[in-house]
Amino acid sequence: MDRKRLIVLLVLSLFLMAADNEDQELFERAALGEREQLLRARIDTLKREQDFLLFQKAMYETDSRYLIINITEKTGQLKYRNRVLKGFTFVPSKNFPGEALATGVLVLKKKEERKGDRPVLVLGKALVIQWKRAYVPPAEAGIPYITLTKKEMVSLFVALEEGAMAYIVQ
Amino acid sequence: MGKILESTSTAGKHIDTMPDMRSKSIMQRSYKISIKPFPLVLLALFLMLPPAARSQSSPFAVPLDEFRSRVKDLQQQATWLDEENKGLRRMLKDLEDDALYLVVDTENNRLTMRQGNDVVHTAVCGTGSRQFIEEETGRNWYFETPIGSFTVLGKERNPVWIRPDWSYVEENMPIPPENDPDRFVRDVMGKYALLLGNGYKIHGTKWTTLLGTHFTHGCVSLGDDDLELVYKAVTIGTKVYLY
Repeated sequence: MDRKRLIVLLVLSLFLMAADNEDQELFERAALGEREQLLRARIDTLKREQDFLLFQKAMYETDSRYLIINITEKTGQLKYRNRVLKGFTFVPSKNFPGEALATGVLVLKKKEERKGDRPVLVLGKALVIQWKRAYVPPAEAGIPYITLTKKEMVSLFVALEEGAMAYIVQ
Repeated sequence: MGKILESTSTAGKHIDTMPDMRSKSIMQRSYKISIKPFPLVLLALFLMLPPAARSQSSPFAVPLDEFRSRVKDLQQQATWLDEENKGLRRMLKDLEDDALYLVVDTENNRLTMRQGNDVVHTAVCGTGSRQFIEEETGRNWYFETPIGSFTVLGKERNPVWIRPDWSYVEENMPIPPENDPDRFVRDVMGKYALLLGNGYKIHGTKWTTLLGTHFTHGCVSLGDDDLELVYKAVTIGTKVYLY
C-alpha cells in the first residue's frame, strides 16, 4: 500500500511540475506575442519614417518644387529643396478617406484649367487639389479632394509642374 | 435474428464481413472483470497531464525557440531601421540651415522672409506685368518676373536706374546712345536695391498704390518700409526663391 501511495505521489508531482512548466511557457509565449506585436508596429513606423526621410533626401538634391501634405493636421507645404516656399491649410472633402489614403508619394498627373473653370491639380486617382470646381469629369467624380483658398490654389498651380511630387503624411 | 446469433456464436468466421454483429454479441456476453483502482488512477492522471508533458512535441504552431528567435530578429530589424533613420536625419540636418531666405509668390504678389519653417516677415510686392511690347525693328520684350532660385549678388543704397531701350520704346521715345546721361535716373527705385542678376532686382517704387498687382517690368517692387526691413535683414548670398 505504501508503495502505491508513493507512486501516486510521484505521478502527482510529475503532473504538477509539467503543469508549472506549461504555465511558464504560456506566460513566455504571451509576453513574446505582445513584444512581437509591438516590434512589428515599431518597424512599420520606422519604415514609414525612413520612406519619408529618403523622399526628403532625394528632394533636397532635386531641382523641382514639391508638396508635403499632412492629412491629420490638414496642412501642407510647398517646398523647394530644404526650403518652405509656402504653407497652407485645406478642407478635406466629405468622401475624404483620411487614414485610408496611404502615406507616401503621389505624382501630379494633370494640371487642369478649363475656360470658365477653376484650376485643379490631379494627383492620379488618389487625390485632387482644388479651389472650387464648376465641373467634375466623370472619371474624377469619386476621387477625394482637398479644397484650398483661391490665392493658395493659384500659387500652387503656378508653382508646380506636371510630374511634381507630393508626399502624404498622416 | 436467430440466424445472426448463430453466426456470431461461431466467432471468427464472419469477423471481417460482419463486424457490427460481432461487437453486438460481445456486448451481450457478461465478463467478470476485476477492476483495480490504482492503474485507472494512473491512467486518469496521465490523461490529465498537460499535452506538453505527455509528448515531446509542442502543442503550439511555432516551437518556443523559433518564436524567441523570430522576436529577436524583429528586435534586430527595429534597431537597424532606427540606426539608419538616425543617420538619415543627421544627413538631412546637415543639409538644412537656419539662414534667412526670401520667397516671392509672383502669382499673388507677396514677398515672404523666412527662416527655416518660420515666417519672419510678409510684404505686398509688385511683379512683372506680363505685357509684351515690340519695336518697329522687330525687337520685343515680355515683362515677366523670372521664376526659380536666385541669390542676392549685391546690395545698393540709393540705386540709380539705367533706363534700358524698352523704356524708350514703351514711351515711343527715340532711343539714346548707351551712356547718354538721360539714361541715368535717380529716385525711382527707392532707397535700396538687392541685385539678383541679369538686371533683375528687388527695389522700391514710386507707384506704391500698384503694389499687390503685376505692374513692373520684371523686377520685384516693395514699399519703402518693407524694403528697408528686407534690405537690412539680408546679406549678400541670401537665397531668393521666386515662384
